[in-house]
Amino acid sequence: MSEKNPLPFAKTQSRSMLLLVIAVLIGLPLVLPSATLATEILIFALAALACNLLLGYTGLLSFGQGIFFGAGAYCAALLMIHLELGLISALLGAALAGAVLALLVGALAIRRTGIYFVMLTLAFSQMAYFIAYTLSDWTGGDNGLLSVPRPEIRIGDTVLLSLSDARYFYGFVAVLFLLIFIGARRVIASPFGSTLMAIRENETRAAAIGYDTRHFKILVFMLSGAVTGIAGALYAMLLHFVPLSNIDLAMSENILIMTIVGGTGSLFGSLLGAGSIVLLGEFLSDLWPRWLMLLGIILILVVVFMRGGLWGGLSSLFERLKGQRKTAVPTEEKLS
Amino acid sequence: MLNLYLFQILNGLGLGMIYFLIAVGLTIIFGLLNFVNFAHGAFFVLGAYICYTVVSLSGSFWLALLLAPLVVAALAWAIERLLIQRIYHLPHTFQILVTLGIALIIQEASVLIWGPVGKSVAVPELLRGVLIIGDFVYPYYRLFLIVFSGLIGLTLWLLLECTRFGALVRAGSESTETVSLLGTNIFRLFSMTFALGVALAGIAGVLFAPLRGAQPFVGPEILGVAFVVVVIGGMGSFSGALVGGLLVGVVQSLMTTIWPQGASLMIYGAMAAVILVRPYGLFGRA
Repeated sequence: MSEKNPLPFAKTQSRSMLLLVIAVLIGLPLVLPSATLATEILIFALAALACNLLLGYTGLLSFGQGIFFGAGAYCAALLMIHLELGLISALLGAALAGAVLALLVGALAIRRTGIYFVMLTLAFSQMAYFIAYTLSDWTGGDNGLLSVPRPEIRIGDTVLLSLSDARYFYGFVAVLFLLIFIGARRVIASPFGSTLMAIRENETRAAAIGYDTRHFKILVFMLSGAVTGIAGALYAMLLHFVPLSNIDLAMSENILIMTIVGGTGSLFGSLLGAGSIVLLGEFLSDLWPRWLMLLGIILILVVVFMRGGLWGGLSSLFERLKGQRKTAVPTEEKLS
Repeated sequence: MLNLYLFQILNGLGLGMIYFLIAVGLTIIFGLLNFVNFAHGAFFVLGAYICYTVVSLSGSFWLALLLAPLVVAALAWAIERLLIQRIYHLPHTFQILVTLGIALIIQEASVLIWGPVGKSVAVPELLRGVLIIGDFVYPYYRLFLIVFSGLIGLTLWLLLECTRFGALVRAGSESTETVSLLGTNIFRLFSMTFALGVALAGIAGVLFAPLRGAQPFVGPEILGVAFVVVVIGGMGSFSGALVGGLLVGVVQSLMTTIWPQGASLMIYGAMAAVILVRPYGLFGRA
């Protein structure tokens, strides 16, 4: 597809999108008061991006993203604490843990479609929480898993870069984010991605054409689990701590809300959504401990009035400013 | 030892009947309105809190048992009219998300009104003693729980099977279009059914309050359990909700004796086992 692109327009658009992301990645730490806050935004943007692959591109509403986020966090932390593994191996371990759990959850939940799938992911999310709670020898239970290291990047014994400075860690997360963002765009543009969108639009028809839709759904679920696992591992390194709340249902809901608010069906939307919700939480949680109520209201408003999310809203505003109204994407069809 | 197991099985039946009330409300709403109410657990919590307020103001648990479900149902009715009715034309995903938003709002509002720490509700005076048969001792309140929820279940069954309203709900679950074409105001039926289903969650919340008190953050946990029940029993099935609820209640109670930390975990294990063997639940249709 990349050799013979029939749509040069799409190519320039994709390039400008990439430039936009790079600009945001460079701009975030300059605008925000701390690099830690900027890092947190990128971590949740990764989790939202993974959720978007399911919801926006495959039409799968998953209330189980917290499972993979928490599992990634615990797995990376335990690997670094007990086996003293390095940064990259710990991240790979987290990705693997996320993918394997997604395979397990997916294999069971994808046996059922529609509403049952949604309910099963929620039930498995609760199950994962109780497993983490029960295995308190490993996870620290209610107290959380303490003193998680943030190892330096090294090859053999040569230290390439120490990440103990928050700005360096931000740089590392930003590079990782960019790589995963590009990778996710590739996946969406590939035949695999087109099949996912076919499943989103009409699963019965996709199956009738001859695609094994269950197989595709499990694969994208695993991909999403792996990326979410990496996000969880990075979050553990950021906080030096894995609280039990990393794996609870509220985490799944937060990731989902970020995805919706940002806009489904646009990967950049996930960055917008994670950014706005993390910032909202950061500034409101001290002023108003019950700010989750506002999150509920925002969620309802977005669903009722702005189903394209922030990205949809911004791009239609942009189109209107440009005076052309051709790409008013009917967002209602994007999800079902 | 045998007494202990009997005790836990009876406890499980009581708990299971509460789960049944929650799940059957969820199922009725799904059957007719075709979406899952993610705010169901939040309405349960609200029922428990209103029970606390009524009991502390009037001292009467019985008044609470009457008032709390009515208040919760009225709120649900208003929410359905003002909000949910606007989004029936959208895919189910959006309806789920709106009810998730409602759940968050109710949960945080409960914390604002009643504080972040749970409130305990005393067992009503009439039911405070214990039943003693030989060397078997059992609290009256838990017996009342089984009998009373059984009566509610029976009433509901009669309502669904023997009244015009029930016939409309059942017919609507098969085809809302046909019912609407035959001259029924389908939107009124939707509102009433939503309120009824939520009222059942409210009743469950009131009945639960003397056992564990009113806790602000148990909503998601209750929702998870209700999902397990309907996945095991099969969505849209009255008997499925009953059997599923009792099964989950008894498993959870027995596990409290055998492996206390894993009691909550086991019900999800039971769910996974059922899906593996029978993907459509014990009573579900494909």
